[in-house]
Order: sequence, then C-alpha cells, then structure tokens
Amino acid sequence: MTRWFEDIPLDEAIDLGAHTFTASEIVAFATRYDPQYFHLDPEAARHSIFGGLVASGWHTISIGHRKMVDRLDAEADAIRQLGDEPGVSGPSPGVSSMRFTAPVYPGDTIRYTLTVTGKRHSHSLPGWGLLFNRIDAHNQSGVQVYTADLVGFSKRRDYVMPLGMRLALALSNLPGMKWLRKKS
Amino acid sequence: MTNPITRGRRHFEDLVIGETFPLGPKTITREDIIGFAREFDPFPFHLDEKAARQSLLGGLSASGWQTGALALRMLVDAFLGDVATMGGLGFDDLKWKRPVMKNDTLSGTATITGLRRSRSNPDCGVLTMHLEVRNQRGETAMVLDLSNLVEARKSETREIGDAAQ
Repeated sequence: MTRWFEDIPLDEAIDLGAHTFTASEIVAFATRYDPQYFHLDPEAARHSIFGGLVASGWHTISIGHRKMVDRLDAEADAIRQLGDEPGVSGPSPGVSSMRFTAPVYPGDTIRYTLTVTGKRHSHSLPGWGLLFNRIDAHNQSGVQVYTADLVGFSKRRDYVMPLGMRLALALSNLPGMKWLRKKS
Repeated sequence: MTNPITRGRRHFEDLVIGETFPLGPKTITREDIIGFAREFDPFPFHLDEKAARQSLLGGLSASGWQTGALALRMLVDAFLGDVATMGGLGFDDLKWKRPVMKNDTLSGTATITGLRRSRSNPDCGVLTMHLEVRNQRGETAMVLDLSNLVEARKSETREIGDAAQ
C-alpha cells in the first residue's frame, strides 16, 4: 500500500489532508453509531456543554483513518509509477491513547497530520514491522481536536526467512505432512 | 441550572464502581463490513474477499474502527443513553485482539472502573469504563478503556483529597 517498513521516515509530519464536517453527515453517523442527543438533535444540543450539535469523536477519528488510507494509496500509486513495488500495510493491533481535546462543529474543517514516532521489528509476526503512529487533528482556527497514538503493521522488504523456518515450510508442503500444516 | 434533556437520567452521584452492563448482541454482515470500509477504511482486506483471504487476517474482516463504532452503539443503547453524559474525553489501551469476520455475532460487557470529580469543573465527574467485545465463541475481539464526562446533581467545592489522580 505504501513505502516499505525500511523506507518509512521517523518524526516527519505528513499532511493527510482536510475534511469539512456537515450537519447532515454528523447526524447520519450518530444515528448509526453514537445516538447521543448532542450528536443527533441540533435543538436539544443547545442544552449541552457544547451549546450546539457536535460530531461524535468516533466519527472524527474514522474520517482521520480514511484520510490516512487515501494518503497511503496515493503514495503506493506514485511508487508504482516510478516502476517500483510499493510496500504493504497490515491491520492495526490497537490504539494506546486517544484524547478528544475540542469539539467539532458543523462547518468545521479538520486537517489531519500523521507522524511516525517509532518503529521496530515485530516479535510475533516474522517479516513484519511495527509502526508507532501519532495522528493529530486541528480545526480551521488551529485548535487541536484530537491526538492519538496508534500502532500499525508494515511489511519488511529486507526480511529473509531463517533457514529452519524455510525447511519447516518446505517439509509442511510435502504430501503426508498435513499434520504439520495444521500445527502451523 | 438543570438540563431539561438529561433531568431524568442517571447522574454522576448515581453511578457505582463495579456496575456492569451487557452489550449486544449484534450480528455483522458482509454488506455491513464492505459498507463501512468503503466509507472509512478502504483497505483491500476489508473490501474484497479474495484479497482478504491472502491477507494476514485470512478472510473478510471488519475494520477495527467499525468494531469500535458498534461497541459504542451497544454502549449507548445499554447504558449511556440513560446517563447525563456530557461527551467523551477519549480512550486508552484499545486492543483489537482478534479479527471480526463476516456473520460474527458480537456481544460484550461494560464495567464502571472509575468515578472521580472533574478537576477543572466541579459540576461534573469523569466516568471510566472498561469495554470488552466478544464473538459468538466467547473469544475477546476488542477491549478498551473509555472516559466520559457526566453531569453531577450537586456541585462540589474542592476539598483535600479531591485532586487524587
């Protein structure tokens, strides 16, 4: 999907682009996933601490994730155009911290930034690396609306499977070795 | 000042550490998975069954953000909809422990793990909950610790000990 694990730079702020939240999409998301009155009903929301309708935090971060996926896709296309093979992004094991620091109102334009703050080889998945990602989101006035620390998997280009593992894999492909395949 | 929307709901003083709430059940279909992925998480392993079989997850699986959004919905339906909540502060230690595959039925448990007065606003408290989402085999798919602000009935002047944590 993107660059290979080895080529991903640390501590470089990558602009993921911006999204303007409309009242109708805020209500549509909340209706499905977060039907609290300040995400659903502009009239009732006037009584809330926000003084009006605001986006569900889960909506704001889901859009942030979409922005990241789009950016990775665009980067993969650029790499292919240069005649190279792009790297592979894997699923995420989790989020260590997510802080909603200011509300998102209809009409707000939120800009997302990704910074890879650390990376290491995965212990559990040979051939893969772990990326420690920070995503920051700011509104049009420069006020931060959330900050998150997430973990992602990224494939290692330079990974060489150890001899023992290659032998085991070759053996498991021989007829009569089905039990080994089941075990692994 | 009383909020007419939340007047009849449970307030900060009404909540008890250790209370648990069952979440779900909710079955997730292939269409649910692809619909959410198209909008928010268009990785091939959430969109395309063939690509998904070749991925780390071994089959079409829901976006982790979708599992989280569904957990939130189950929490609002089971508990938060009856609480004078003022919004979410965030969450910690979210772990996607096992992929959620098509036709999985999710259920779970929410447990109140923390209640403290807000340091900045004595009219409200901070509610912390541990959420665990499981599939139909009882295997844990996702856990997280969620924090919400909740209206208090009575304002509390700050005393010694109130600033704990």
